[in-house]
Amino acid sequence: MSMNKQISRFDLTERAIHWMSAISFVYAALTGLALWSHKLYWLASVFGGGPTVRGMHPWGGVLFAVSLGFMFRRWARVMQLDSDDKVWMKNSHLYAMHRDQELPETGRFNAGQKMMFWMQSAFAVLLFASGLVLWFPEIAPRSARLLAVLVHPLAAIGSIGGIILHIYMGTAVVPGALRAMTRGTVSQGWAASHHPKWFRELSKH
Amino acid sequence: MTTTVAKLVDTSLCIGCKACELACQEWNDQEFTLGTFDGTYQTLPDLEHNFWNLIKFNEFERDGQMSWLMAKYQCMHCADPGCLRACPAPGAIIQRPNGIVDFVHDNCIGCGYCITGCPFDVPRLSPKTKKVYKCSLCSDRTSVGMAPACIKTCPTNCLTFGARDELLRKADSRAEQLRGNGDQDAGVYNPEGVGGTNVIYVLRDAKNPESYGLPKDPGIPWTLSLWKGPVKWLGSMVFLGGILGAFLHFVRYGPKDHGDEHE
Ligand code: HEM
Ligand code: SF4
Repeated sequence: MSMNKQISRFDLTERAIHWMSAISFVYAALTGLALWSHKLYWLASVFGGGPTVRGMHPWGGVLFAVSLGFMFRRWARVMQLDSDDKVWMKNSHLYAMHRDQELPETGRFNAGQKMMFWMQSAFAVLLFASGLVLWFPEIAPRSARLLAVLVHPLAAIGSIGGIILHIYMGTAVVPGALRAMTRGTVSQGWAASHHPKWFRELSKH
Repeated sequence: MTTTVAKLVDTSLCIGCKACELACQEWNDQEFTLGTFDGTYQTLPDLEHNFWNLIKFNEFERDGQMSWLMAKYQCMHCADPGCLRACPAPGAIIQRPNGIVDFVHDNCIGCGYCITGCPFDVPRLSPKTKKVYKCSLCSDRTSVGMAPACIKTCPTNCLTFGARDELLRKADSRAEQLRGNGDQDAGVYNPEGVGGTNVIYVLRDAKNPESYGLPKDPGIPWTLSLWKGPVKWLGSMVFLGGILGAFLHFVRYGPKDHGDEHE
């Protein structure tokens, strides 16, 4: 059997959800960062000026929250951590050093990807809740606003940090991964090497 | 060097005539909006985006009789303004060399961060223009050597305008005089927590500024200091460190096997 044959990894729905959240996230992150530091205020001009950024950022955030809602519904089940994942997490430095063979075999998603999913979901909830408070300063009580000005940037820092790692992994470290998210397919060899448990299950059918 | 200017409010002289409220509305060309009538003598329950100067009629009982503690309420023009620290738009809030804290509406983006940063709950967002407004200490008048409108119009000398040092001295001696007259708790309100204010009060009961509707120990909220300090450093570390870390990792380890080589 040729290992170059393409198999489906993400269907159209999954790819649509992924890119909707990616685009809305980048928009929300860049417009948010514009207001985070005077040194980054030039970003506001890029996105149509300060008042536009102030008006549109929350809507970008809402779009992001909605797409993550869809993603959550779709993937919450497969993202459950099992006992292999716990061993994997404890030895994740081996993955960083490309000694994947010494780690438990992974299914459709590895433990790192699962953690990314749960972390970003949690950050999204925090961003949405604190974002709502910042959106309506005349309505929200002052104590909530004083908390939100900490929670919102902290959650943004966490999620943007996570996304830097996510993009680096998906584009540079794992060749072939990006194609899974653009065209939806991977080669059998890719599946067998990066997600062997998932590949065996697929081959059974 | 430009001298720092200030406004002195001697509450013991306020007769509640509200001339200063009207002068403020007139000079700043505010449209008149019908407010809430809540059965008190106070014009409106609180400051508004088009109402920057409010005489608070704080009711209290003395010898079984209702009485008022009247206090003018407006922007305090803090030496360390929380609004300015919170503002994300460069140039939207400025501190003039004479100490006046001014909102520059062309640069304001309407985020409302200043509302959260202000320890005195002063700035107000206009639903129409989506910008924030507050007392400017009549910076358009003071810049050409005129006194602010409220001060110009005050009939009792409750309000005075001038160099801050001089007014502080005047406030101290007035408080001393009041103490001599039997108001043992008379004192000056010039809160330290915001580095002092350019609106200074003489209160007959300085131990209880709350009874005048003034916060007791206003200061920069600690979450504001964290937000604009350590949280920013943390963010820079995560963003720059993340990118640098990814780069170094790639230089050391490179990509994983594609998988197609495995047969
Ligand atoms: C989930 C819904 C979201 C809502 C309702 C929301 C709302 C807001 C609001 C109202 C502000 C204040 C200024 C402005 O309006 O632009 C703000 C600031 C900000 N937002 Fe969001 N946001 C959301 C999601 C996000 C996301 C996904 C990110 C990206 C990681 C993000 C990053 C930021 C940052 C960095 C700031 C500046 C914080 C600061 O000044 O310290 N937000 N957000
Ligand atoms: S009272 Fe509020 S609005 Fe006025 S200078 Fe101080 S922080 Fe700014």
